[in-house]
Amino acid sequence: MSGYNIVGQRVPKLDAAQKAMGRAEYIQDVKLPGMLYGKILYSKYAHAKITAMDISRALALPGVHAVLTGKDIPPKMRMGFYKDNPPLKADKVCCFRDEVAAVAAVSEQVAKKAVSLIEVEYEVLPAVFDPEAAMEKDATLVHEAHKTNVLKLPWKLHYGDVEAAEKDSAFVVEDRFTTTWVTHCCLSTSGAVALFDASDNLTVYSNTQIPSLAQKDFLETLGAMGLKGKRVRVIKPVIGGGFGSKLDTYAYEHIAILLAHKCRKPVKILFDRKEEFEATSTRQPTVIYIRQGCDKEGHLTFRDIRMVLDNGGRTSWGATTPSVMMMPITSLYRVPNVRYNAKCVYTNNTYSQAMRGYGNPQATFAIESCMDMLAQKAGIDPVAFRRINQNEPGDETPQGFKITSCGLAQCIDAVEKELTQGSPLEDGEGIGYASLIHVGGGARIYKSDGCGAILKMDDYGRVDIFTGGTDMGQGLDNMIAQIVAEELGLLAEDINVVHSDTDVCPWDVGAHASRSTFVAGNAALGAARRAKQTLLAFGAKLFEVAPEDLVMENRTVSVKNDPEKTMPVDKLLRKAHFSPGGTMLMADYFYDPPNENMGKDFRCNLSVTYSFGVHGVRVHVDKETGKVLVKNYVAAHDVGRAINPMLLEGQVYGGVIMGLGYALSEEVMIKDGQIKNPNFRDYKLFTAKDAVPIMAPVIETHDPDGPFGAKGIGEPGCVPTAPAVANAIYNAVGVRIKDLPITPEKVLAAIQEQSKGS
Amino acid sequence: MKPFTLLTPATVEEAVAMFGQHKETARYMAGGTDVIVKVKEGWMGPDYLINLKQIPGLDELHKNENTGELTIGSLVTHAMLEQSLLIRNEYPIIYDAVSNIGSLQVRNMGTIGGNLINAVPSADGAIPLIALDGTALLAGPAGERSVPVKDLFVKPYETVLTPGEILRKITIPAQAKRTGSAYIKFGRRAAMELPLIGIGVLLVVDEDLVTCTRARICLGVAGPTPRRAQKAEDLLEGKPVTATLLTEAGTLAAEESQVRDSVRGQAWHRKEMIRVQVRRMGIKCLDIINQKAQQTGRQV
Repeated sequence: MSGYNIVGQRVPKLDAAQKAMGRAEYIQDVKLPGMLYGKILYSKYAHAKITAMDISRALALPGVHAVLTGKDIPPKMRMGFYKDNPPLKADKVCCFRDEVAAVAAVSEQVAKKAVSLIEVEYEVLPAVFDPEAAMEKDATLVHEAHKTNVLKLPWKLHYGDVEAAEKDSAFVVEDRFTTTWVTHCCLSTSGAVALFDASDNLTVYSNTQIPSLAQKDFLETLGAMGLKGKRVRVIKPVIGGGFGSKLDTYAYEHIAILLAHKCRKPVKILFDRKEEFEATSTRQPTVIYIRQGCDKEGHLTFRDIRMVLDNGGRTSWGATTPSVMMMPITSLYRVPNVRYNAKCVYTNNTYSQAMRGYGNPQATFAIESCMDMLAQKAGIDPVAFRRINQNEPGDETPQGFKITSCGLAQCIDAVEKELTQGSPLEDGEGIGYASLIHVGGGARIYKSDGCGAILKMDDYGRVDIFTGGTDMGQGLDNMIAQIVAEELGLLAEDINVVHSDTDVCPWDVGAHASRSTFVAGNAALGAARRAKQTLLAFGAKLFEVAPEDLVMENRTVSVKNDPEKTMPVDKLLRKAHFSPGGTMLMADYFYDPPNENMGKDFRCNLSVTYSFGVHGVRVHVDKETGKVLVKNYVAAHDVGRAINPMLLEGQVYGGVIMGLGYALSEEVMIKDGQIKNPNFRDYKLFTAKDAVPIMAPVIETHDPDGPFGAKGIGEPGCVPTAPAVANAIYNAVGVRIKDLPITPEKVLAAIQEQSKGS
Repeated sequence: MKPFTLLTPATVEEAVAMFGQHKETARYMAGGTDVIVKVKEGWMGPDYLINLKQIPGLDELHKNENTGELTIGSLVTHAMLEQSLLIRNEYPIIYDAVSNIGSLQVRNMGTIGGNLINAVPSADGAIPLIALDGTALLAGPAGERSVPVKDLFVKPYETVLTPGEILRKITIPAQAKRTGSAYIKFGRRAAMELPLIGIGVLLVVDEDLVTCTRARICLGVAGPTPRRAQKAEDLLEGKPVTATLLTEAGTLAAEESQVRDSVRGQAWHRKEMIRVQVRRMGIKCLDIINQKAQQTGRQV
């Protein structure tokens, strides 16, 4: 129907059998000869001065090769984009997660024991845990030299005239929403192995989502260690879950490097589950103040958002999520006047990182909850209200996003159709909707948004393609295989995708921003096109026709309209290889989409295309217990084109379940800076038994710039889930929960409050 | 994890003797779903683990048709109970409780005896056995003795078992005619969950199918040990059971409970859940009784 043979097929994930049979090698499985085991000692307090440290007992323990403290860290070594985080802290700690010492020993057991023998004396300092309190004048400073707890970041914009627009609005609503810490819960915990060769070149095995940028970070570390000019090779084992958690480099990686250099042996640091909860980064928590208005007909007039983000004690990418939040704030629905101001504030809590959606779920929770409130105030049906304001192809949003393909209208139709079909709503049941916009063609957050691909073909018609892109379970290997197979008239199984080693794979900015299918896919497509050109030129000579007269399909090259003239690809390849002055088929391509960096006022066309989606949910609320049961869930996404509908559905299902956890149950509970539930018993990740029926209508808008028309779908699935659920709960029982997660306690308390009032 | 030696006795007597030899450096282990986790997490570090799993006969599960007494061996797994038609048909409160413990994998390994002896306030398995007036048969260095299940628990992680004692089995006396029973584990998740509150109700009614002759209301996570809400039981006994009366009983049960705030849930909400769920479980009991009465009526 699509005219494609491989694109659009439900090809099972290429490594599915390996994973199902336990053969996939994760960081847990990496074991090198002579390898030592590293272990980290964390702070005992949320905020304290380190007054003394005694490592002598640890060093004396048989089997211990090295003990490092903050004093061993080269002075210039700082992690994170804000450079406020040395891998080990020498003078003071700013959160429980702060690393203060590390050990390398012959076994994990000895390393653990050694860590327990390190004695640290602290002088406890007053601490601050509430970001709004931390903004106050006399608040305790988390970093004294920084002079203020508010980070110096430029997250502020104003397009149009919000105040004038508010005066002209017929209806205005305002409210405060809050979202809390949640975490990725990757099944494979974090870990790294570092080793140096005899010439001080470094190899790091790490389950990173950013091999090329990690390489850059590690080169900086080598620089700080006085090892300028040395090489860094990053090898990525099979990744057991990313979701954004591996978009930065972390203390454990840099500590492994320092220990490996000191011991002249490979050093492995592997987190246990408790450590994974306590020492990896969360989703950015927010306090959101929103005002939104519309005219009599329901056209949005303005959106005004002020936000406070709990930055925690150190800075990772979480502090840059406001830049992505700008996307839904300025561009979800047509809204002519927009103002946004976000402050990231140091506290003595844990700190945040990228997590699927990168701020979008938080912003969309406030916007879409508020959309329903505004619709009600204007007396307009929530779905009709969304249709009045929906984005359309050809729109340019106030931020300067140029919307090309846009299936938001079709998504609304699809969800409404599915959700209104079933039985009539019973008492306690309700339906809620929420939409999303996300970058669909990458996002230029770095100087390059590119990805390279190198392709070679062998004598047997097989392809090896080396991509900069990262498969972390999301299915990029399939995307690339299916795109290349389609272009070269091969089968997916003919394509070997290599994506795990910076020594052989070209540069890529990382597996983020739902960009891999689009950017790595286009890079692979570019390389395949070049290979095809060469191959067809050779075939044209052979058949004495023009290259345009040839087709590649079903592993053969044939002359159009002349079934006699045909040759299997492998034979053609051998002919090319073994003819005098032979040719081996190789091609490369670097694709960097025409995405723009954010300008001074953040105006830009951040992505060459945007993804849209609408979620609708039917819930039942138990009015006596507050428990919310999801009866039916519909998640329609405009994906441009489904390269592999099965993996696409997997992305949407996974996104929705992650989003439902965010909406209803997940929360890293932090009290006085300390995590109270660092385990799966009390961190309420949805289990398989909690999964709900999900329908995922696919809207194909055939994006002009996407590979075979495809756009990104990695993150969108979890973006509008929480507001859809909150809106459905309101529809069901008339209470609006503005604070995630929406627990039975909160719902029941609101219901009881409501019945007191009436 | 601290290394340990695994001992595998063939009889209860041998197990007791092994314990006698190693004393407090040894721990008994049944399914291991709690003990192994504790060893791994470093919460206990025995030198010897005495694995009871290979002792024949400790996994008996049968009802004496003459006396009506039910015997549940201590090594009967949650899965065995869950899959037993006898349990499902005649002891729905046990089925309700064990079929929601942990996950399928945990239920395949975990035993009812281990669930009791682990002695957590949230022990799903304890509630129905208390409601059914079960008796635990213990075997130890000083011989055998019996203890009502309701008196087994001292405080979290502590039972009345003396060093070396093993839980052999639980017996449950014949159920009265017109008995209905039900349990709900109220939690946030559908699996791998500890209850925020566990509520078991057992009602016996008179021939009029309304007047309560015996009531058992048992609560988990409502205090340091699984417990009965006796004031609430007393309120029901001798009266016609209605939704209103059950709500009153629930309110009483909530009042006499010692629920707490914790990371898992707030005390006020737990109280609310006791109030609501005692009523719901009570009504479920009546439904079961009525259903059975109708079936019996049809048979006649």
